[in-house]
Amino acid sequence: MKVLSKDKVTALLDKIAQQAAVFVPMANENGSGFYPWNDEHKTRPLLLNALNVYTSPKYVLFPQTERMYDLKQQGQDLSIGQTHEDGSKRVIFGVRACDARAIRCLDDVFLTRGFVDSFYQARRDNVTLIGNACYAPGVNCFCEAMGVAMTEPETDIILRDAGDEGYIWEVKTEPGEKLTQAVAEFLSDKELKAPEAKAFQTQVDYAGVAEKLKGMFDDPIWERMSQPCVNCGACTYICPSCHCFDIQVKMWGDQGYRFRCWDSCMYAEYTAEAGGGNPRPTGVERFRNRFLHKLQFFNERYGYALCTGCGRCTIVCPTGVRITDIIKEIKEVDSSVEL
Amino acid sequence: MKAISDKIKSIAAGLFDAGKIDVFIGWEENHPDYAIRPYIARSKADLEHMAFNQYAIHNSSTYLLKLRDGQERIGIVVKGCDSRGIVRLLEDRQIQRERLYIIGVCCPGMKDPLLAIKAQSGLVDVKEEELAVKCQNCLVPNPVIYDELIGEKQPPHMSGERFAKVKAIENMSYDERYQFFEKEFAKCIRCYACRQACIACDCRTCIYDEMRPQWVGRETSTSDNMMYHLVKALHMAGRCIECGECERICPVDIPLMLINNKLAKDANHFFGPYEAGMSYVEGQKPALSVYREDDPDDFI
Repeated sequence: MKVLSKDKVTALLDKIAQQAAVFVPMANENGSGFYPWNDEHKTRPLLLNALNVYTSPKYVLFPQTERMYDLKQQGQDLSIGQTHEDGSKRVIFGVRACDARAIRCLDDVFLTRGFVDSFYQARRDNVTLIGNACYAPGVNCFCEAMGVAMTEPETDIILRDAGDEGYIWEVKTEPGEKLTQAVAEFLSDKELKAPEAKAFQTQVDYAGVAEKLKGMFDDPIWERMSQPCVNCGACTYICPSCHCFDIQVKMWGDQGYRFRCWDSCMYAEYTAEAGGGNPRPTGVERFRNRFLHKLQFFNERYGYALCTGCGRCTIVCPTGVRITDIIKEIKEVDSSVEL
Repeated sequence: MKAISDKIKSIAAGLFDAGKIDVFIGWEENHPDYAIRPYIARSKADLEHMAFNQYAIHNSSTYLLKLRDGQERIGIVVKGCDSRGIVRLLEDRQIQRERLYIIGVCCPGMKDPLLAIKAQSGLVDVKEEELAVKCQNCLVPNPVIYDELIGEKQPPHMSGERFAKVKAIENMSYDERYQFFEKEFAKCIRCYACRQACIACDCRTCIYDEMRPQWVGRETSTSDNMMYHLVKALHMAGRCIECGECERICPVDIPLMLINNKLAKDANHFFGPYEAGMSYVEGQKPALSVYREDDPDDFI
């Protein structure tokens, strides 16, 4: 098998960075995230051994603010200038299984079911994913319950940390093979054993929840569970799979551009209608929508949950809302009672 | 803490029994203990899981906003900072005093549940502290408005000079200051957690949600981010009650209280002596909500 020894990691990243922008898990002043491996950032501590990073790699494929096209107004006419689809080569290095699954969610949303988002596609077609298999889940991790195999990230290459001897380098796809050939000089042939996977510390039972939720739209449980929520968008912006966006315009005089930016179902403005109405008038409806989307609607459309069990929303929530508690409470509701 | 928790429960039960309240705002226990969360009990039976512990740091007065349009009579537990939030709402005419039965808790200082969860998350390299940052510089641990008080009065927890950090910024040059804030605001992801957790942000339609016209752009760019924080700061002048929730909950650690402390310092300097939300007198208004001909204007 192919092995990447640990002392060659930075040299390998340097090599890949000659041909593509490489995004790597690193620490920052207050947290951690995926940063470009370049002169500005590569002095930051590398975090390949950390459980995961605070900010997911979602933004590499789906930036928080993305310019779409330039426009110019001439009298009554509007002319469209340059479009900004970005098909430059990118590699994301060290993606955990939960975040890789989240990218699959984005792929399904932006590329399937009869509509292709060309801005997302330009980025996605040019991204190679290098996964980092998990063997020791953290206290807030529950990916397994959401159908994610922590040791098998859905990526082009999988790294398996075999300790001091290095990473097992497992090629999974054609683009992965291509990248492997380009960095062959850093890989050696050796037989290593992948570590034993440890048990999950948090037990979550998602089985049957998506089906059960179909009958729970008007359940009083939403009012109760949404009580602590203050409807900020922290959970939606830290979530690796939340993908709602708004499209807006910025103009200076007769020139400007159209851009998209992340939006959040937690905001009243998200569902505000031109006529002044709002189908989700209070925090209760917004809260319900978020969890139904995560646990039911997405499942109905794509066959799996939109929550990947990474635990970030639990870590970031200012008021102690925990999706694992919500799944548990949904399970406990007596659905035989007529509402 | 257990004694305080039991006392709150028994007072709340008594209020429900006597028919004096329809709802009760406090906290609900959860596992682990730092997952304690704000809770609105609607009956005596709902009090079963009501609790109070060293992680009950959230500003409980914020939850009055969820009930402001109703008629319910509300029982509520407040710490010192939360009680100033109630003064904010009363002055802003968002809730009527007659609707409230306020149980004040003399606060020994809280621990930060966000720091607790982050410390063991494996995602961020932080350690839990004995006292939450926002409690390390607390002028008002004892409630300023209440119907019933629990616990021994606590001394303020000041770990240094109150405006030391503000003065350090004031001593910078214009360029240094600009660079400092430009760097901090560049981190902002515009999740609006600071707005949502803020008791002084009690507008029904926030300026950032206005679309026609759209006053502040939605890009995460230096100019839009700065505009967001600038507008928010101006709305806080003379109104922020310094509960510190915005800074505590900011997911990207922007030092928001630096701005709010500066505003408190200036409101006092120009219009004082003034300290927001320290007591409630019928008809009282925040410093910048009243106009006097002798107000200073040389800074404009």
